[in-house]
Amino acid sequence: MDDIDAMFSDMLQEMDLLTQSLGAEEESAPLPKPPSIPDPQQMNFSIGFTDFNASLHDLEDNDLDALMADLVADISATEEKFATEQDTLKGSAPVAPIPSQPQDNFSLPASTDTSRHATSSNSIAAPPPPPASKPSKEELEEQIKADKIKLALEKLKEAKVKKLVVKVEIMDGSSKTLMVDERQTVRDVIDNLFEKTHCDCNVDWCVCETNPDLQTERGFEDHENLVEPLSTWTRDTENKVLFQEKKDKYDVFRNPQNFYLWKKDKKSLKDMKEKDKEQLLEENFCGASVIVPDLEGVLYLKEDGKKSWKQRYFLLRASGLYYSPKGKTKASRDLVCLVQFDNVNVYYCKEYRIKYKAPTDHCFILKHPQIQKESQYIKYLCCDDEWTMTLWVTGIRIAKYGKQLYDNYKAAVRKAAGSATWANRSLQASSSASTPSPTPKARAANGHAPQPAVETKGSSNQTSFPPPPPSMETLPPPPPDPMMPPPPPAPPSATKVNKFPPPPQFPQSSFPPPPMDDLPPPPPPPEDSELPPDFLPPPPPIFSSCGGEALPPPPPDPIASLPPPPPAPQNFASAGGAPPPPAPPPPPPAPAPAANKPAGSIRKVAPPPPKRTTPQLAAPSGGDLMSELMTAMQKKRTQ
Amino acid sequence: MAAWDLTVTVEDLGPDAPPLQISVASDLHIGGVILKLVEQTNLKKDWSDHALWWEQKQQWLLRTGWTLDKCGVHADARLVFTPQHKPLRLGLPNGATLKMRACFSSSAFRTVMGICRVLSKKHLLLPMMKNKDSSEELYDLTDVPLTAGSVQALYNGMPAHFADSPKTEAVYKMLSVSLPSSAPEAIAKLYRPASVVDKTHIHTRWLDSSRSLMQQGIQENDKLWLRFKYYTFHDMDPKYDAVRLTQLYEQARWAILLEDIDCTEEEMMLFGALQYHIGKLSLSQDMVSSCQGMDDLESALKSLEVKMVGDSNSTDMLESMTAPELNDYLKIFRPKRLTLKGYKQYWCKFQDTSISYYKSKEDRYGEPIQQLNLKGCEVAPDVNVAGQKFCIKLLIPAPEGMNEIYLRCENEKQYSQWMAACKLASKGLTLLDISYQSEVKNIQTFLSMQRSNSAAPAAQTDDSINTHSLVSPRYQKKYKPKQLTPRILEAYQNVAQLSLTSAILKFLQIWQALPDFGISYFMVRFKGSRKDEVLGIANNRLIRIDLGIGDVVKTWRYNNMRQWNVNWDIRQVAIEFDGNINIAFSCVNADCKVVHEYIGGYIFMSTRSRQQSDTLNEELFHKLTGGHEAL
Repeated sequence: MDDIDAMFSDMLQEMDLLTQSLGAEEESAPLPKPPSIPDPQQMNFSIGFTDFNASLHDLEDNDLDALMADLVADISATEEKFATEQDTLKGSAPVAPIPSQPQDNFSLPASTDTSRHATSSNSIAAPPPPPASKPSKEELEEQIKADKIKLALEKLKEAKVKKLVVKVEIMDGSSKTLMVDERQTVRDVIDNLFEKTHCDCNVDWCVCETNPDLQTERGFEDHENLVEPLSTWTRDTENKVLFQEKKDKYDVFRNPQNFYLWKKDKKSLKDMKEKDKEQLLEENFCGASVIVPDLEGVLYLKEDGKKSWKQRYFLLRASGLYYSPKGKTKASRDLVCLVQFDNVNVYYCKEYRIKYKAPTDHCFILKHPQIQKESQYIKYLCCDDEWTMTLWVTGIRIAKYGKQLYDNYKAAVRKAAGSATWANRSLQASSSASTPSPTPKARAANGHAPQPAVETKGSSNQTSFPPPPPSMETLPPPPPDPMMPPPPPAPPSATKVNKFPPPPQFPQSSFPPPPMDDLPPPPPPPEDSELPPDFLPPPPPIFSSCGGEALPPPPPDPIASLPPPPPAPQNFASAGGAPPPPAPPPPPPAPAPAANKPAGSIRKVAPPPPKRTTPQLAAPSGGDLMSELMTAMQKKRTQ
Repeated sequence: MAAWDLTVTVEDLGPDAPPLQISVASDLHIGGVILKLVEQTNLKKDWSDHALWWEQKQQWLLRTGWTLDKCGVHADARLVFTPQHKPLRLGLPNGATLKMRACFSSSAFRTVMGICRVLSKKHLLLPMMKNKDSSEELYDLTDVPLTAGSVQALYNGMPAHFADSPKTEAVYKMLSVSLPSSAPEAIAKLYRPASVVDKTHIHTRWLDSSRSLMQQGIQENDKLWLRFKYYTFHDMDPKYDAVRLTQLYEQARWAILLEDIDCTEEEMMLFGALQYHIGKLSLSQDMVSSCQGMDDLESALKSLEVKMVGDSNSTDMLESMTAPELNDYLKIFRPKRLTLKGYKQYWCKFQDTSISYYKSKEDRYGEPIQQLNLKGCEVAPDVNVAGQKFCIKLLIPAPEGMNEIYLRCENEKQYSQWMAACKLASKGLTLLDISYQSEVKNIQTFLSMQRSNSAAPAAQTDDSINTHSLVSPRYQKKYKPKQLTPRILEAYQNVAQLSLTSAILKFLQIWQALPDFGISYFMVRFKGSRKDEVLGIANNRLIRIDLGIGDVVKTWRYNNMRQWNVNWDIRQVAIEFDGNINIAFSCVNADCKVVHEYIGGYIFMSTRSRQQSDTLNEELFHKLTGGHEAL
């Protein structure tokens, strides 16, 4: 219980900070920035990221709202969980919000996973009630206690999951903000961004980091985790995260001949038959070991600690970058290893002619990802022209990542292709959905972003912002078609615009529709019906803030929107029961922990949304928090 | 029809026995000849394997239904009545020599298939030929001196199971477990190709797969080399093919040790480390078959472990939340410019992936002087067992660059614990990780190896391995064992966790990633050129190499190839590529049949990779490799 309390107080604090910064924002920037929200078409995103508080200040209003929405959801989820726990554990002391507890996590630049464990806890919360209330409580008490300890431990683990709020800049100077979980791969983040930006989702989209100190840029590979490299940035960093199309990201797979047969004349390569290209890929990427392009040639190397650049004859091998010393042959035995790729990444550089007196501006460096400033441990290389640079950088990436790169590409292609089919599918699925969404298009949108929908406010949102639906359509949702059909009953109301974690993928996989049939929804309903009223009110305000003028007064909203929530929880609850199989660790006895597990194991931040939908949030203790929040929001709105 | 006398030598009568004269007529068929012959010998034995060999024409008379007339046999013919299967000594890739019965009368292609079927029979319950097939060919060894290190294993054999007797079991073990490395001096004595030209000589000796061994002048008990000829290896599944995998590894290993394929120093160190690791694991394996069983067991254990973690009750979980630590006094040294400070002693605590150090043990509850997070850092050993120096060199990345820090341990035990912890932490793992204990043990073993090396370099025990035997003679010359050991140790740390098969696969992978991998060289003269050049044949391309500077002049890929053929009169190979590119060349030191067969063989292999059947299409193979030569 202490753990939970501590965590809870952490969360409270976070909320405090949030509301504070919200207030600050308000003063400086007038809230009405509806365009950005309803208008999801902006294709470009740029991201900058700093620690939580700082970033909040930079955020656009709508970003803030979205973030808020997420946080609220998480918190309410935790609360609800709390509440249920309290119920089950009748003996325990009142859990009510106890802000007094110390919280260390907080200081971390990365906001710790409040939302994460909250979400997991949420799913848990639903199942436990049934056993506790129905069978004789006394018998089960012990068991429950044990479960709870386990649960708390799980949550502790969850709590260790690092999360970052990342501002991603898009080419046109706009930006998107999203929360990234340390378990998310870059691929997940890109999918996220696809959903938010409604770009064309082709395979060239890439998340890059820039470093103004070193004037470098590097595209993250799809399989990398985003949080790890970002956490090595310094506190006062001016590094940025960009979302942009990079032609060279996967060019090697589209035109392998340019890299593997680079010695041949360009003309003959230009119209190479597709079949031959495939064979090249097969030869080089599908054998027992990946074959690295046999690059060799003169490059300039900046001498250690000096300003001069020296020409050297370089050769690329799978084992590293080599050069042949003066007066020696190119024979392997005489080569000197400049660097091996295990611990370094390769970065493109800008304007090194001025910065370092490089012979040309076509430079790249090799350095340990944690090095952020000029250092003798960085290898600086310069090429005669841009193509040569692309050739070498790509070659080094192949040497470093090997087959993984090809797998990434194939996955990206599948995704890109799947987005089209997805649109159709979601349309169908959505048509079956019963919720009162205004237009069929809106439904489609819901289809792919089912969970978030739960928010009652969502519905209000939709009405107020007609534009979103169409945009969603254009937006090819990342969720790969392989996934199962969108969760049927999911309340369609959610405006995905608000949510940033694109939940679609997660929910689908973790909550397979079938379970719903098996699992009797009964248990949850009772609670749900009671709870919703309490819980619901808060959300609307948030939305209204983001919605701006269009939003009708908050109070009415909840009522109107009320109906939807109940059904949702049922689904989720039942679905929550289903996941257990995937979750290996927790023992079967308590369904709750099991449910918890899956949520935790999934990478997506997405999960939180679904949970929040559960009306159980109403937890008694929640009142305080929520009212606090409410007041904050109210303040904001009045301003 | 007139009868005449046919002279036939019957080998079974002894070398000194005079040839038999039998009276035949031209319309007598071969079967009849044999019948008469056998009657005349008066020997009771099984003659079923015997056949007639026509010495002058160098051909077998195998069609018993044909008449002498049809075969072209006249009174002047000297025939030999001899068994079709004879013992043959085979030099295997691992250096061992195997004596076994092989067919001398069918095409070399079939003979090799037969041999391979025997070698992996017990293990391959699937169709036997499963791609052991054409990737192995016979080396004619007549002019090759085979030296030390060969285990004379006798396997007189009709196809039989290896399990029949302890002796055959031993043979199987020899085949499927890599042999310990030989002494460095022995390696240095072996023949090494010094140049591309030398390498072309090796490839002149491949046998013609369309003709029988007898036809190619191979005698009973001759020694041939068995090698993988085509560097296209499909579906290497260690589960089914321990022999093949091991022999492939051995071939790769010797190619590297004998500098048949060039590699860089860094690559050589990694190869050395892998060899050491594989050698060690092979030694510790008593039963051959356990090699795949072990892997299965390992994975089973792993999953079991995971399960147990999952099942552990809450108290266990609580315990596991508090990670173990290392606590000890260590000496720390941070090299900086212009400072002369040496090592200073601190109380160090290793927790999670960080080292915190304090002024003394009493201060350990306060703020540490510094905390070093080792995640992502580089860890290098700086050890001299003889000098009792046990240092860990850490390069810890920071925004400004790398921080260099040395930790000095008191003894081997302390060193191996902290080193293992650093190693794991650099990968982001904690002391909790299951690999920690084995990591500690690995380091200790390696240290003991260094101890025996430096203490008594002359007297090598069986356990200790001289690191010189892990590298090619070039590096033996370049480095003393004392210098070599730490470098191999460094590389070893990255591979020490691999299981036997994955280590072998890794070795093969790195081998295959070498730029010169899989190229067979032939000395040729291109049409219209006045000088000799080298033609490299790889699995996907032909390479023209200038002998003078050793540079690649041009490459042609097979998939641009329209057709190729041989003009047997002028012994010239002609190839046409897309875009009306025609090349033609004659072979300087090899038979152009060998070159032709090599190219055809690769094209054959590429057709195979698509259909993936277990049986070989022999007809297609001969069609592709045989040219239009009249057989």
